[in-house]
Amino acid sequence: MRFIASDGLPRLLERLREDGAEVWAPRVVRDTLNTVLFSPWSEGDEIETGAYSTLSAKQLVLPATERLFAYRYRLTAEGEKIEIEAAGPGMHAGETVVFGARACDAKALGVLDALFLSTPGQSYNDPHYRTRRAGLTVITLACTTCDSACFCSSFGAGPAETAGSDLILYPVGGGYLAEGFSDRGRELAALDIFEDSSQEKPALAETAVLELAGLEQKLLDIFDDLDFWRGATEQCLSCGYCTYACPTCHCFNIFDEMQGDRDGERCRSWDACMFYTYTLETSGHNPRPEIAHRYRNRMGHKFSYYPANQGEILCTGCGRCIRGCPAGVDIREVLKAAAARPATPGGALQQETES
Amino acid sequence: MDDLIATIKQVLAETDMVLGWTRSAAAGVAVPARFHTPREAEAAVFDSTCVHNLAVHLPRLKDRRVGIVAKGCDVKSIVQLIAEREIERDRVRVIGVRCPGMVDVKKAWRCFGFGKKVEDAGGQVAMEGKTVAREEILLAKCRGCRDAVPVIRDAAVGGVQGQSVAAAGELAGIRKRFASMSVDERRRFWRDQFSRCIRCYACREACPLCFCRDVCAMQTREPHWTGGGVDARQSEMAQLIRISHMAGRCTGCEECERACPVGIPLMLLLEEQNALIEELFGYRAGTDPEATPPLLTFDAGKDAGGGGL
Repeated sequence: MRFIASDGLPRLLERLREDGAEVWAPRVVRDTLNTVLFSPWSEGDEIETGAYSTLSAKQLVLPATERLFAYRYRLTAEGEKIEIEAAGPGMHAGETVVFGARACDAKALGVLDALFLSTPGQSYNDPHYRTRRAGLTVITLACTTCDSACFCSSFGAGPAETAGSDLILYPVGGGYLAEGFSDRGRELAALDIFEDSSQEKPALAETAVLELAGLEQKLLDIFDDLDFWRGATEQCLSCGYCTYACPTCHCFNIFDEMQGDRDGERCRSWDACMFYTYTLETSGHNPRPEIAHRYRNRMGHKFSYYPANQGEILCTGCGRCIRGCPAGVDIREVLKAAAARPATPGGALQQETES
Repeated sequence: MDDLIATIKQVLAETDMVLGWTRSAAAGVAVPARFHTPREAEAAVFDSTCVHNLAVHLPRLKDRRVGIVAKGCDVKSIVQLIAEREIERDRVRVIGVRCPGMVDVKKAWRCFGFGKKVEDAGGQVAMEGKTVAREEILLAKCRGCRDAVPVIRDAAVGGVQGQSVAAAGELAGIRKRFASMSVDERRRFWRDQFSRCIRCYACREACPLCFCRDVCAMQTREPHWTGGGVDARQSEMAQLIRISHMAGRCTGCEECERACPVGIPLMLLLEEQNALIEELFGYRAGTDPEATPPLLTFDAGKDAGGGGL
């Protein structure tokens, strides 16, 4: 194993910056109580290695807003013309290093890859996502402690998960043991800032486990059980915090920002299925008028439809939605109640009759 | 809790549900709950982690008869909803509770970690053996609270008179820094604060008086008041639209600031505006259900100028 002393970390990150990478790390926002955000790091900036970040690292592959292209209307001698100017990824074009992701954050990147990068049999390949993802190096901080919102152990290896990480740092006395899990990670661990070590890896945290067996089908079986969904969402305020903090939620909206009457930019922004406007149709009809409809979709997408379509559960148990919910909603309680709920007579996914 | 549970059961006899709190084992603090039956009401608690303002649910429950456990500040929101004719007084049964001042749960989690059980006794707040003096960890609104006694109530738990809350201390931290800033510094300060906004609208959804909700000007594309993207200038504009709609409506419950996941100090703006409304109109939102809110006093004949519209 390789070892890096705690005071060697800034040197490592500074080295990466000198090599042209942009480095992002979790930092406490000044004046706030416990807002920790991944933000660009430069020498001298303090890094938060204890508290979990408020938002995930997904903005590095899927920014909150990005420009897809710009368009301009021109009247030329040949007639009317629309000029299109393609936009690049709209962020740092070269390598980006995210330091201090957790196993749940890193794993989530692989979950998103299943959708945004084409795999055999699928046709979608997002050029903006692909460019950013290819340039991203993930340095993960292994969790030796956890809190009561963590439930990553419900999804495979939990704190010992290596998927999505290039390099994992394991906290030990005086610093971190380092292990590479990709070519890039192994290359980093070979740098002279690291030294050889015979120390043992520390014991990792043991997080809560949520029983997921049967949930994929159960969520279909209780689709029509609106009493259940209304009860489960009594406290939900329908804000977008949980979806925006979630490392795997990826819904987006595409819209035009007009400049004047004819010129503008086409942009893509995060969107949240908990918003009333998410499914509001031009006609004024909204197929998901109640919070219950929207939350049902959120659970169904995460734990039933996406696993069925992409083979991955859209949750890595990071617990952000639990820690930050202004109404104290705990997704685990809803899923436990769903698992215990008898299937609706007549079967799943019937046509809804209520308006 | 026996008194609270008994009162909730009484109120349940004449309502469809009672909004209150129960304790969450995972979070170690109180979380909102609805009680529909006397049996469910057995789980009710009230302690100094009941930070949520449950009045936020009332506009969505207009067609129901609802009981609500409410602190003095929560009752102000109920009063304002009545004054704005958003809810009917006789459909709501208010259970006023004696509020000891609420613990800033986010601050507690910062000190002790999420999910540790909060114990509040003898002037100290403790979590897993570590303690902090009570006045250091109370919500800002609880210091020097003027509204601990519920303005309206149909039942009371714990005696609503003689409340004791911490006195208003000197301006601390960000409030102190903000107070000494020039206009230019404030402009930069807000641009920096709003650069963190992710447009999740938790501020709006947690606000009992933001009852437009699904048709909010912060989000409409038609008319196009603000951009659809996440950008500090646009977010600032969107928030200022929301806040100006809260003129004479905001009761200072601080739920927007508590709900904000990225810690934008929205109350700095609202406190300024609330003080202005009190100065200009002699009006404090949420203190009198019979009073007419300033935004509802516009008289087209008199106020439009030049002989009316």
